[in-house]
Amino acid sequence: MTVTADITGTGRAAHLDELRELIAEVLEIEPEELTETGSFVEEYEADSLRAIEILARIEKKYRVEVPQEDLAKMENLLAVYETVKARVGWTD
Amino acid sequence: MSDHAHIRSVLPHRHPILLVDQIEEIEHFDHIVTVKAVTGSEPCYAGMAETTDPRRFAYPRSLMVESFGQSGALLWLESIRREGRELTGSLIFAAAKNVTFHRAAYPGDTLRHVAHIEQIVGDNAFLRGQTLVDGELAADYGSVIAVVRQTESLDGRQAPVASQLAAIPRQHTMEEQ
Repeated sequence: MTVTADITGTGRAAHLDELRELIAEVLEIEPEELTETGSFVEEYEADSLRAIEILARIEKKYRVEVPQEDLAKMENLLAVYETVKARVGWTD
Repeated sequence: MSDHAHIRSVLPHRHPILLVDQIEEIEHFDHIVTVKAVTGSEPCYAGMAETTDPRRFAYPRSLMVESFGQSGALLWLESIRREGRELTGSLIFAAAKNVTFHRAAYPGDTLRHVAHIEQIVGDNAFLRGQTLVDGELAADYGSVIAVVRQTESLDGRQAPVASQLAAIPRQHTMEEQ
């Protein structure tokens, strides 16, 4: 049998929690304040520099390169999750 | 390498806001050690009322942070130049976070900055480091971000960083201890 499961033992919910914490720290809000679809710009007053900080932390934490073109798509937690999932290759 | 003329060829800053005097040590894309001498003839002391309170002559923290930021930018831009590349646009001190101050510097003191590159993402450099005075910790910088942004010059052409004036710091979110 081939084991293809995520060896870190984390699933969708855990990945979302990780990202929520990382993003909330950059936006200087409490993790529970960050909803899955709340727009970083509209609801949490993020600017382009915050977006770059989120990108930088993701690259560091998951050791992936996320092209800056992807930034435009990363407008909320769910969108970041989908982008990172595709880059890292999560199978959640 | 460590001469002042070289620093001027890399940083766009000029008197009186060029706040790095010398490079003591540089390891490209990793860290830099720079010095900045504080003197009684700094513009920040000009026009001060006569006072017998020596604490009034503490070197402004904002300038200490700026001097550190310039040191980090110097490391970043010099490292890139060594690869034969040059960034175009304006160098901007974008943000400082988790900055703590531990002792003041006075005229006659030398600031010694140790700046590390944490990460480079596109035209954004994430730095961290410390400022030492007489071997003692004067300031600790958890995160400083320097960026280069495109700004059209008057004739519409882009100039290399070193030939443009640096922009005013856009955002400071300093937390003091």
